[in-house]
Amino acid sequence: MATPEMRVNTVAQLPAQRRMAALRRRSALRLLDVERSEDIFPVLLEEIMALGFRRAVIATVDPETGELVPAESVNAGKQFLAQFRTSLYASENPLVGVLQGMQPAVLPQPGNKNHNLYCHPFIYRNRNMCWEAERERRPDCLALVNFTNPQPMQLERQTCEVCDMRSYTGLVAVELNGATSERELSELRALIELANRYLARLFKVEHYYNRMRDMDTTIAQMQTMMQSMSDPVILTDTHHRVITQNRAAEQFFKLPEETTEGLVRAIELNNLLFSAALSSMAMGGEDASRDLTLVDPIEGEEVLFEAVTAPTFTREGMRTGLVTVMRNVTDLRRADEELRTNFERLLAAEEVVRQDRDRLNLIIENVGDPIVVADSAGKVVLLDPLAQELFARSKEGRVEPQVVKNLAKLDAYIMGFTFSFSDRENAPLKLWSPGARAELEYDARSGKIYDVRGQVAYTVTVLRDLTPLRKVEQLKVERRMLEVEKFAATGRLAGTIAHEVNNPMEAIKNAIYLLADGVKEEKKPVYDILKGETERVARIVRQMLGLYRTSEQAGSIDINSVIEDTLLLFTRQLQRNGIVALTDLDKLPPAVGSADQFRQVLSNLVVNAKDSMPEGGRLIIRTRHVPEPDGIHSWVRISIADTGAGIAHDILPNIFEAFVSTKGEKGTGLGLWIVKGIIENHGGKIKVRSKIGKGTLFQISLPVVR
Amino acid sequence: MNAQNSHVLVVDDEPSVLLTYRMILEQQGYKVTASISSKDAIAALEQDPMDLLICDLSLEQKHTGFEVIEHGRSRDATVPAILVTGYASKEVMDKAEQAGVTVLFKPIDINEFLSTISQKVRSRNESRHQKA
Repeated sequence: MATPEMRVNTVAQLPAQRRMAALRRRSALRLLDVERSEDIFPVLLEEIMALGFRRAVIATVDPETGELVPAESVNAGKQFLAQFRTSLYASENPLVGVLQGMQPAVLPQPGNKNHNLYCHPFIYRNRNMCWEAERERRPDCLALVNFTNPQPMQLERQTCEVCDMRSYTGLVAVELNGATSERELSELRALIELANRYLARLFKVEHYYNRMRDMDTTIAQMQTMMQSMSDPVILTDTHHRVITQNRAAEQFFKLPEETTEGLVRAIELNNLLFSAALSSMAMGGEDASRDLTLVDPIEGEEVLFEAVTAPTFTREGMRTGLVTVMRNVTDLRRADEELRTNFERLLAAEEVVRQDRDRLNLIIENVGDPIVVADSAGKVVLLDPLAQELFARSKEGRVEPQVVKNLAKLDAYIMGFTFSFSDRENAPLKLWSPGARAELEYDARSGKIYDVRGQVAYTVTVLRDLTPLRKVEQLKVERRMLEVEKFAATGRLAGTIAHEVNNPMEAIKNAIYLLADGVKEEKKPVYDILKGETERVARIVRQMLGLYRTSEQAGSIDINSVIEDTLLLFTRQLQRNGIVALTDLDKLPPAVGSADQFRQVLSNLVVNAKDSMPEGGRLIIRTRHVPEPDGIHSWVRISIADTGAGIAHDILPNIFEAFVSTKGEKGTGLGLWIVKGIIENHGGKIKVRSKIGKGTLFQISLPVVR
Repeated sequence: MNAQNSHVLVVDDEPSVLLTYRMILEQQGYKVTASISSKDAIAALEQDPMDLLICDLSLEQKHTGFEVIEHGRSRDATVPAILVTGYASKEVMDKAEQAGVTVLFKPIDINEFLSTISQKVRSRNESRHQKA
């Protein structure tokens, strides 16, 4: 570019005033032409030269170091420049004074008396506020402050409070020669002021440029942030019109290039719903949130959002609109719904269980028998109120010694059952009943409850107080024994009578025998009648005596032994008749009654059987124990069967009546009647079956109580 | 083997019964000593040896035919005996069985009575002859 010297020459040829004007115009144009602030200084220096000055320096403040430092110069050597390097704190330095005073001044040059220095301060100042200050209505814009406020300024801190811009500070020093006129000085002043103004403007422009770039970066960052959010974010203005939205929101609210009818409808719907939601939220005030169901335009499904809004403001606090972030809570809501449903279902189930349990408790309480539930280790887990009487502590916490015994017995029983292999158990337990103040016999019945794996989970035991039952049975037995006693007593009476009659009968019978010789032929029939009837009476008496032969009390009968004894008694007779006697005797519990009477029954039946088989045959006596399902009662069945002549069909129904006989004159007809009487007195039953030519079967059932 | 030679002792506390027994037995040809009480019977046993004893179970006061039989057996262990009674308890039956005494029940069938007696006398004679 052209050197200053060359340019100067051209202008120097003009007449003085025109030259000045021309110079001025040209300087202004040249400075205007500058586009960058760093180009101002060289141009300024050139123009200073063009005015005719020989040497100039531009020094700037380095705010970091707090020093004034030469920046640009023309025709300045090191020595010359050195005087322009100074700390800003050196307030005695006239240069610093110029800067602080913000007024140009002529300073003597140390070491050069002939050439003074015109020092003109160079700072960022403007008549008008910067854009930010204007917007915010702040008067503390640096430019304005520097323009209006002639206070000594803080040179190091030339930073605008409003826009944060750090501006320049410096000064121009021009070496004057002795001939410099006032007018030349004023020209110089004007030039430098012009440069300052232009610089200020350029500086501001550059500052704005930087700011815009920064803002651009920030905007880009914000954009990135917004776009990268998977949740839809929408910025709306005060009329709920969308200012901007991220990609996630566009999916729901913006029509894409390719549309289908369904898509369009969905998007329109979404926008409608969103607007409506915003309206209602705006009413709510700050930071409202609500549920919003939108349609996914592509999938067509409903998507549930939780929309959270926050108002947006300007820097001055003026409301500009809303920012809305929408969280997809479809899955969350669904999970929540499921949880709630499950919870309610659980509550309902709990209620059912509670009701069932209450019902069960009610049943257990009302069963009326003590119930004990124990776990798989044999430990008691539940006692119904009745069981608590037997096994639980008293209210004071004490345990009666009897209860301790009860517990011990119960424990042994339950342990035994729990660890046994049987499903069920039934055993007597003698326990002390505090209510009855007595030891009662209980019938314990237990069962096992299994879990899903087939292991014992619980055992349930019901205790039945057999005392009432036993009492009834006891009464029955007593009554029966009383009957037997009465029977026996009657028997004894009859026996006594019979005995009394017996002896005279013996004498009569003997006498009749002795008379046989002396009877006349025509008196024979009379004699026969006498003899016959006497014999008949004798037989009857004998039968009766045979029945009541004993005065034994009723007691315990071992039926099988009685059978065996009786058979033994008749062994020879049976053998003589060629009768084979067979027995098949079951294990029997003892019966209650008169053993002698029972012996009489057997004897009668055995004799009958023998009489029915004169040619021989078989006599089979069988006993069986038949228990009843209630576990307490049982029957002893005795059957006496023969292979004899049998009893005729027409007599059979009456065979047990008195004076009915198959033996013709020999029979008294009392035998079976007596047998039936004895059996019935013992509370038993007798049946008969017979077939002519085949044989006869007598079946006796006697009751037995455990 | 002569019935006539056999000496039978019959004991019963009922006079008519005793008399008719004696008449029946004498009709059969037996030599009969009839005693009305156990006391008399024991006295008779002291005097004569008997071939057969026929006793009623219940005698005067609380005496029984068993006493008579025992006494007879003490003199002659092999003498056969018949016990006559209206009724007999199990104990009586057992005792009779143990003692080898036959029991006949009143009212006795005459034929049975007589046949039992003759059988007993006969077997006694036989055994006696065998001994001899």
